[in-house]
Amino acid sequence: MSVIRAAIDEMFSVVGQMVGSVFRHGLPLTDKIAARTALTNFVLHIHPVRVRRSWIRMSYTLCLGGLSFFLFIVLTVTGLYLMFYYVPSTQHAYQDMRDLQFVVTFGGLIRNMHRWAAHAMVITVWLHMARVFLTGAYKKPREFNWGVGTLLLLLTLLLSFTGYLLPWDQLSIWAVTVGTNMAKYAPIAGPYTRYLLIGGRVVGDNALLRFYVLHVVGLPLAAFLLMVVHFWRVRKDGFSGGL
Amino acid sequence: MATEARDRIAARERVEARRRQVEAPSTVRDDSDDEMIVSFPEFVFKEFIATVAMTVFLIIVSIWLQAPLLGKANPGMTPNPSKAPWYFLGLQELLSRFPPLMAGVAFPTFVIVLMILVPFLDRNPSRRPSERKVAIILFALYTTVVVALVIIGTFFRGHEFVWDWGWVLGNPQTCGGKPC
Repeated sequence: MSVIRAAIDEMFSVVGQMVGSVFRHGLPLTDKIAARTALTNFVLHIHPVRVRRSWIRMSYTLCLGGLSFFLFIVLTVTGLYLMFYYVPSTQHAYQDMRDLQFVVTFGGLIRNMHRWAAHAMVITVWLHMARVFLTGAYKKPREFNWGVGTLLLLLTLLLSFTGYLLPWDQLSIWAVTVGTNMAKYAPIAGPYTRYLLIGGRVVGDNALLRFYVLHVVGLPLAAFLLMVVHFWRVRKDGFSGGL
Repeated sequence: MATEARDRIAARERVEARRRQVEAPSTVRDDSDDEMIVSFPEFVFKEFIATVAMTVFLIIVSIWLQAPLLGKANPGMTPNPSKAPWYFLGLQELLSRFPPLMAGVAFPTFVIVLMILVPFLDRNPSRRPSERKVAIILFALYTTVVVALVIIGTFFRGHEFVWDWGWVLGNPQTCGGKPC
């Protein structure tokens, strides 16, 4: 009998060790436990361990920066799912979109989420910029981070614009034709810029491939690196809340 | 057995009492704005709620609204009007009004450079809205112009990108860039 009891005890302690190895500090019942959790947890390390209540007031931040980042994550995840089914060639792209819409399990829902999240991100990033401007949060010592944020707003627009071409329907090809035609008007470099961007004189296979590569690798990578800098600077320059 | 349990409870209470003593907060919680709090779980919980709300919102919108997918791209057939995505419609609107070099290149470049330079141009050290009237009015004007241009480009530009009252008077020639 005692052998069985010892075995059960041992089993419980192993399970306890397993749970404890993930949730190291237990429930955050005291400030000290909570602080230790915030300090040692990878996911939480983006936050300072201690914050002033006025810094994180929702009526001040409106969560706009955080929501922009979250939408970036949503777009990455839904985008990965779409990439499993999508081939960036004028032969396949449109049919793949039809399949996503009508054949692939949850394909339509995921595509819709990707589309609407992209529009939402343009809006939240813009509103985040408006909030930072209206609260004067760009002032010393945050001038540099405001510049990084401006580039991130630009990257958000470019990400959305490059994605616009990928369905390869009448809406996307002509929107991108109109959009890239604007580049043509720059003095001297204009026509070359456009040629470089779409890999030809008209929006075709090369443009689709270039936009695809920029959309799924180039621009997200640039945005990710700038976001790392942006968040790092928020921590180093301090939260702007509490006017 | 009973003694053992009582001993264990007593021991635990001693440990708890000791912990309370050691971890006694140096300042009394006052729930004021200036109070320093541990970011976990209060702050993290707020973020969690915001992300859950956004996820639910996105899923509901995505079930309700289909993302547009028109006919297959046809380089030989230009729809009229051809429109850029909505966030570039302000630019397209400017292009229809000003010389292309100015509207398509000079203007956006100027706005981007100006935006990056804003912290260095705004010499006013105050962050109080009441002391930043000029900055706030300028920003409000800028926002109004941008939003107005986007709305005009989206809803009031029809065939050949000429003015179209269709969205107000009925029978618009275009539905946000798509043929109706």
